[in-house]
Amino acid sequence: MSIPPLSTTRRRLLTTLGAGAALHSLAARAQPVAPAWAEIEQAARGQTVRFNAWAGSEPINAYIQWAAAQIQAAHGVTLEHVKISDAADVVKRVRAEKAAGRGAGEGTVDLIWINGENFATMKREGLLGAPFAQGLPNFRYVDTVGKPTTLTDFSVPTDGLESPWGMAQLTFFADRQRLPQPPQSMAELLALARQRPGRISYPRPPEFHGTTFLKQALLEHTREPAALARPYSADAFARVTAPLWTFLDALHPQLWRGGRQFPQNAGAIRQMVADGELLIGITFNPNDAANEIAARRLPATVHSWQFARGTIGNTHFVAIPYNAPARAGAQVVANFLLSPVAQARKADIAHWGDPTVLDLAKLPAAERALFNAAPRPGQVQQTAPALPEPHASWVDPIEKEWVRRYGLGG
Amino acid sequence: MRHPLAALLLLIAGLPLLVTGALALGALFDAGAWQALAQEPQWPRALALSLWTGLASTALAWWATRALLAQAFVQQRLARLLRGLPAMLATPHAAFAIGLAFLLAPSGWVLRALSPWLTGFDFPPPWPTTQDPWGLGLIAALVLKEIPFLLWTAATQLQRDDVRQRWQAEHALAQTLGYAPRQAFDRVVWPQLAPRLTGPLVAVLAYGLTVVDMALVLGPASPPTLAVLAWQWLQDADPATNAQGAAAGGVLAFAVGVSVALWRAGQALAARHTRRGSGARGRTPAAGPVHGSRGAWLLVAVYAAVLLALAVGSVAGVWPFPALWPDTLTLQAWASVWASRGTVLTTLGLAVASAALALAWSVAWLEAAPRRWDAALRPLLYAPLVLPAVLWVVGLYSLALWLRLEGRWPALLLAHTLMALPYVLLALAPAYTGFDPRYRAISDSLGRSRAHFLLRIKWPLLRRALAASAAVGFAVSVAQYLPTLYLGAGRWATVTTEAVTLAAGAQRSLTSAYAGLQFVLPVLGFALAAWVGRPRRFTVAPT
Repeated sequence: MSIPPLSTTRRRLLTTLGAGAALHSLAARAQPVAPAWAEIEQAARGQTVRFNAWAGSEPINAYIQWAAAQIQAAHGVTLEHVKISDAADVVKRVRAEKAAGRGAGEGTVDLIWINGENFATMKREGLLGAPFAQGLPNFRYVDTVGKPTTLTDFSVPTDGLESPWGMAQLTFFADRQRLPQPPQSMAELLALARQRPGRISYPRPPEFHGTTFLKQALLEHTREPAALARPYSADAFARVTAPLWTFLDALHPQLWRGGRQFPQNAGAIRQMVADGELLIGITFNPNDAANEIAARRLPATVHSWQFARGTIGNTHFVAIPYNAPARAGAQVVANFLLSPVAQARKADIAHWGDPTVLDLAKLPAAERALFNAAPRPGQVQQTAPALPEPHASWVDPIEKEWVRRYGLGG
Repeated sequence: MRHPLAALLLLIAGLPLLVTGALALGALFDAGAWQALAQEPQWPRALALSLWTGLASTALAWWATRALLAQAFVQQRLARLLRGLPAMLATPHAAFAIGLAFLLAPSGWVLRALSPWLTGFDFPPPWPTTQDPWGLGLIAALVLKEIPFLLWTAATQLQRDDVRQRWQAEHALAQTLGYAPRQAFDRVVWPQLAPRLTGPLVAVLAYGLTVVDMALVLGPASPPTLAVLAWQWLQDADPATNAQGAAAGGVLAFAVGVSVALWRAGQALAARHTRRGSGARGRTPAAGPVHGSRGAWLLVAVYAAVLLALAVGSVAGVWPFPALWPDTLTLQAWASVWASRGTVLTTLGLAVASAALALAWSVAWLEAAPRRWDAALRPLLYAPLVLPAVLWVVGLYSLALWLRLEGRWPALLLAHTLMALPYVLLALAPAYTGFDPRYRAISDSLGRSRAHFLLRIKWPLLRRALAASAAVGFAVSVAQYLPTLYLGAGRWATVTTEAVTLAAGAQRSLTSAYAGLQFVLPVLGFALAAWVGRPRRFTVAPT
């Protein structure tokens, strides 16, 4: 793969993309990696990178502050954390800027923390600039084979438009004292809900975790999992999703408030688990519960697990909008975020506890040793396989059908 | 032109309001969006919920305000009733909702206090005491939050030196005619007061119908109110869903308009009924114990409990049900508040600047504009109040993009000032337009200049109303979330954007801590206003 030359104009970029991979790799050969990267680092010095990142978690904000200090010291790039509550807001902002005719370098966002539907939208609408990810020197450590979701984001190829940052996998947690035998599948969850009615729930879709709960149930019950890896088709929808609705019809009467109401988000569920109102919490970070125990917001008797046959997993990324004023600086930041030092600190539960995207086997021994943090209470003990996300285009129809069936109250 | 200053003022405020409103409404001309909305199964029920919660909460708040005012007026305890108001008024809606939810929730303080010794619960019961499908929790929160606002605006009327004396005299006169004190209030004072509260009432009604943050915390969820649905759709990454959200915002705006019209029709009917009163004096109620202050005390108690819940919540660590007190205490939340103290400066700067601008404009406008112009402009001025915030912000953002101002401080200032303007005008206009014209006549007859009259007589006499309206503008600016988020392009963080962003993580301690901070700033503003507006004490110089 290649690094696009720094001065790529949009027209050239379009022809490059249009001409396909052959021309692309030619360009790569013509432009050796090392000098180009040095040029980027040179251009980045003195730039301010506005990193638009979800800020709902204190450890994450502190980690970004740490990264900012490192990047300032090593590269002379100022990293500014623009705190947002929803990446979709940023997508809309960039879209509005494009609609208002803003050209390259005239935007307000340099780097955005993104994945899934938001990425698919930005890619489809041409809101991202030239591919850059594979040009980052640290990209060579990424585990693209063992973690294929580093290259396909919700079954949408990343095409180098975003650089992997961390891994996420659907994980559950509960207080061991109240639930010694956690359910290992959706079927077992249903059995548990029948035993303990009113003590289980999931966030109301289209909240992200709620939607993932639906996707997990769908993957476990559908008879045509292959169809989910392909773009949505209206013809197949009823057939593919019928078992999901049968399952939910059985589950909902056993849920919190009879399945007529659902908590707003995973944070609300976590609070209810902490209060004892619900039994099982839901998260996308296998170390979330351990973090919360460390922060003394969950009791130390809480433990985490993933379903034995696997749960939905994905990767989260950073991307550079087409009109980023500090494009070079953003690449330097993205590269730093991929460095073994940064990835090890991120994976360390004392700081954030977000699993790495790197292949530890590819790392030099000294850097591999950085990842040997001791396990903490609450962490997932036995990791289960990560199941790929259904294609991003399925999300919307599933959410709509859910609302039609269960979201109208009464 | 006969009124050049008024025309200039009209241009300054009217133009951005008009453009923003037009751009916001322009987003509604999208046939596809309306089609999508029509096929969306949730919205009819969501609209019904919005109407129910908005109208019920407004009616209850209106009724309670009247009752509280009547008691206080009859017992001449108005000043005492108003003492606690600034703190209540300044409590941000979101913070209040969060605190109230923690009192009422199945795992909340009320049930903790009663469990397990009375209820037998070892775990929170499966009761829908928050996010109940009937919207009762949301109605309760809205009523409790709007009573102080209505009382405050009524107080700016009742405490004007001229009006107070006249109304007290009329009230006394009615009593000499044989009416009981409460009857006299209902027949003489209230019919004069109520029409002057129409503006604030419309604001309350529009707010109740379109509120997002409180409805998210306390409102029904399946489906939520229409404002929440519109907000969720506007947040979506898909432009078609955004357009559908804007259309839902249009439906809400229409609902607000219809509700206001219905309300006013109802009020006119009630007024006619009062005028046709029989004149019967009825029996004089026995002079029993005074329960007038009971309602006021209840209000104070709820606010105190909410604030206490937030204070304890902000330092709570692990806190399982039914423990009355947290197992562990932690200052972590306050540490992160301290870490982002820079946002306080941004918040203060914006709030002071926008409140000052809005106040200066309002005073100049009320001074310079002919009454007819004022009456004609009001509907436009109230657009930010009546248009749902979700829709308004669409227009504001388009305007900023067009001016190439997005992400810059002037854009934020513009947005905050436009939002603060109607509230400031609402709070100021009654006292200002009701100012006894005879003062002017006397001043003129003594040969004093207009400037002398304004600086030495009118403004000093109105300083309580002036300070109070500035405080309202300040509080409105502090509470702005959506406009700050959109126009600041995320580059400008205020206490409120931090609070709501962190609340997305639903951490009780952090949310409570930020709600506390969000609360402190406007309270300081109101305290300052109360100090500026304190009655003058005349001291007799020792001879």
